[in-house]
Amino acid sequence: MTYAVQLVTAFLGSLGFSVLFNVRRTKLLIAGFGGLLSWGVYLLLAQWLTEGPMLCFYASVCVSIYAEVFARVKKTPTTSFLVPGMIPLIPGGALYNTMQYAIAGNWAEFFPTAAYTLRVALALAAGIILISSVMRVAAAAAAAVRRRHTEPLQK
Amino acid sequence: METEKLLSATLDIGEEMLISGAEVGRVEDSMRRMLSAYALQRVDVFTITSSIVVTVTDAEGKTLTQTRRIRGYSTDLDRLHALNGLSRRICEKKPPLSEMKSALAEILQNRPYPVLVQALAFAVIAGSFTLFFGGSAPEAAASALIGLLLKFVVLLMQKTGVNQVFANVVHSFFVSLLAFLCTAAGFGAQPDSIIIGNIMLLIPGIGMTNAIRDIISGDIIAGILRFCEAVVIALAIAAGYSIAALLCGRLLP
Repeated sequence: MTYAVQLVTAFLGSLGFSVLFNVRRTKLLIAGFGGLLSWGVYLLLAQWLTEGPMLCFYASVCVSIYAEVFARVKKTPTTSFLVPGMIPLIPGGALYNTMQYAIAGNWAEFFPTAAYTLRVALALAAGIILISSVMRVAAAAAAAVRRRHTEPLQK
Repeated sequence: METEKLLSATLDIGEEMLISGAEVGRVEDSMRRMLSAYALQRVDVFTITSSIVVTVTDAEGKTLTQTRRIRGYSTDLDRLHALNGLSRRICEKKPPLSEMKSALAEILQNRPYPVLVQALAFAVIAGSFTLFFGGSAPEAAASALIGLLLKFVVLLMQKTGVNQVFANVVHSFFVSLLAFLCTAAGFGAQPDSIIIGNIMLLIPGIGMTNAIRDIISGDIIAGILRFCEAVVIALAIAAGYSIAALLCGRLLP
């Protein structure tokens, strides 16, 4: 039940942010489902893994692949689906708690929470970059094969 | 074609891309490609979140530099999509300057969703995240209502054009105060559950993630700027909560 609520709200949250980010028409639904997917992967892997940042990394990899695929289908920048899809994963709550501890002067709680926030952000960024780098290498390789007999690359 | 005007028109496109939420790497890449398409000898682009600097050397060896200062941005993925298409078209077809300018003007005419739709989106997001973080149904309802009102506070602060930090203190103060009042009136048990839903609307979680992403991608200065910005805004949001909590006599010693 909790899982169902979380999945539905992850979808609605991503959909809402897609509206704020001015995503249009059918892309809106694709963007919303990205949020559902990322949180679904998170919850699924949480059955075996306990480390939050690692879960975020795998979820980020999945939603990045999803965004890359639909960016090609819809001929739009990957960002259109990546940013909304990341919404349930972003360390918003953790970042907020970190600053709460800072203001309350609760340094014992501040440091672990700050570290957690950074690790989640790092995991998400690493997932995004891993997939975009793989895609770039694949695109470059495909282009190199195609242009084998044409002029060399420009300086 | 005059290099100066070409440079300026390209900067217009780059500037809009950055404002719409493109990563600095993408902006640099697009601008370099567009300018290189017009047979310039050399193109150097340097972009951070708050500024773009471009130097080009044209076919006759004349060197030109222009810069733009970017003040604030707001993510607009539809505009980014259109700008991306335009930049690709420019690289392929090298259209004349007038065509470049009219295409950009056309893109800039597309507006975001109407304010009421955005306010509803605020309500949906706030309510959803209250449930997402384990809040109860009445708390989610209170959260959604506060989210709806928050949109208008955000608009008001935008109109006055006050500084971002102050605006965020006000946003978060507003949300927290209303949440305390709601629970005091018996609507929902945990003010924090109501607050967290609305905080998700304000907190720069995406900014934080993008900051790390920029740093890993090698755009270290841009990343550090974004990182600091996210921290400052998050602090402002926490401060707004604390002021409301103090007012309501809830802050523990």
